[in-house]
Amino acid sequence: MSLTKRTHWVVRVTHWVNVVALPLMVASGLRIFNAYPAFARKGESFCCYPFEGKPIPAALTFGGWLAGARHWHFAIMWVLVVNAIVYLAFLYAHGEWRELAPRRGDARRAWEMIAFYAFARKNHPRQGKHNALQKTAYFAMPVIATVIVVSGIAIWKPVQLHWLTMLFGGYVWARYVHFMAMILLVVLVFGHIFMVFAVDPYALRSMISGWYNEDLSPEARNARPFYHLLPRRKSAVGEPMRTEA
Amino acid sequence: MSPRNDHERSLIDRRRFLAVATTGVAALAGCDSFGSRRLEPALAAAQRANERVERRLFRHRSEDRIPGGARLTGNAFPQYFVSDSVPIWDEAARGVWRLEVSGAVRRPLSLSLDDLQKLPRVAQSVDHFCVEGWTARAQWIGVRVNELARAAGATSDAQYVDFQSFDSDYHESWDMASAMHPQTLVAFAMDGRYLNAGHGAPARLHSPVKLGYKNTKYLTRVVFMPARNGGYWSDRGYEWYGGT
Repeated sequence: MSLTKRTHWVVRVTHWVNVVALPLMVASGLRIFNAYPAFARKGESFCCYPFEGKPIPAALTFGGWLAGARHWHFAIMWVLVVNAIVYLAFLYAHGEWRELAPRRGDARRAWEMIAFYAFARKNHPRQGKHNALQKTAYFAMPVIATVIVVSGIAIWKPVQLHWLTMLFGGYVWARYVHFMAMILLVVLVFGHIFMVFAVDPYALRSMISGWYNEDLSPEARNARPFYHLLPRRKSAVGEPMRTEA
Repeated sequence: MSPRNDHERSLIDRRRFLAVATTGVAALAGCDSFGSRRLEPALAAAQRANERVERRLFRHRSEDRIPGGARLTGNAFPQYFVSDSVPIWDEAARGVWRLEVSGAVRRPLSLSLDDLQKLPRVAQSVDHFCVEGWTARAQWIGVRVNELARAAGATSDAQYVDFQSFDSDYHESWDMASAMHPQTLVAFAMDGRYLNAGHGAPARLHSPVKLGYKNTKYLTRVVFMPARNGGYWSDRGYEWYGGT
């Protein structure tokens, strides 16, 4: 077994804070949205949302009612913002941002991964700690989160920070950006969760204790979603031959 | 859409709003299915912290501007009140409507609608931000609350302003800074016409610097106070500050 320390405790703690706070933030936001589940200014129409007027199912919302959801939303926002600052400061101070920052050749490496997952390539590309698809997702998440925070401030303070709201094209568009960026983040999060369980469930260990067994990595197992999920048998070199029945 | 239809629709909206609100209050008071009972102090602390941030952020010079030539909302502007039927000032029972400006002032005022209209007025086309997330645009004509404060001689005790109405017990109190904002008006006309009953006649508070529920309609009293005095929705769980 080759155990390596893979995930720093700052990354683990901020990750699990997100796991708790992000669903509460999204669900309370959806409850707020349901008070007016549309984007159009009153008396006008809106071009770019196909579900104008259709509320989000109550089961996906949190906070009970509009005021309650607003209290949760405006409290948890601080948790998430502070959490993100801690995470990003750590990435910067420890130089780990280098593992996530886009680099020349990422598109080619992402294509290699897609080819591998599509069975158009036999062996798992070796691309470092994160493959290019992971890297892109983990880089995109804080970027999208920043858009969510800034557009959120723009709809929180559309008069006091009028200039900021106007950067988004006004209140209606800032609200739309806030919503659509949330959808994008949620899609990425679900993609992430799917890939953890379908490709590398052994990574859960490193997100909990920090330790990762390299023998169980997707590269070592040549793992695609739901393929080679179980550890591969050790090579048979030196083992006694099995006799056929 | 005819005004009557519009009004009927808003009544339905209001009933649904009240039903939801009542359920919400009951949920907050009665059960802790979300663990909200134990976390309530934390949520209240966050609300206080947010209010400090919001008050520090506040600038009189930050104003709401809508693009020149932008369409106003007109008849689609929702009408809203908390009484069972649209509040109409009953002159036979209550005498002629007057606006009282009182409290921490040197010269309490009692203004008839005529008196109000003789004060320096402004016309402004601005956004209306509802806590529910919708916005609407209208042109308002009225008197700045800071003009009323000047006319009545508000004293240094005036740190808050309570805006009271004849729509049942509806009122909302404001911080002085937001009340003194140049876009905070006691409005008597909307889109070039005197206010109609559905929009708060004869006079209402309107300002883009606060969410809709802070903008008391059917105004009767503007009371300057040394301390805040809650409000209809603020007492029912919505943020007291409600700034935009």
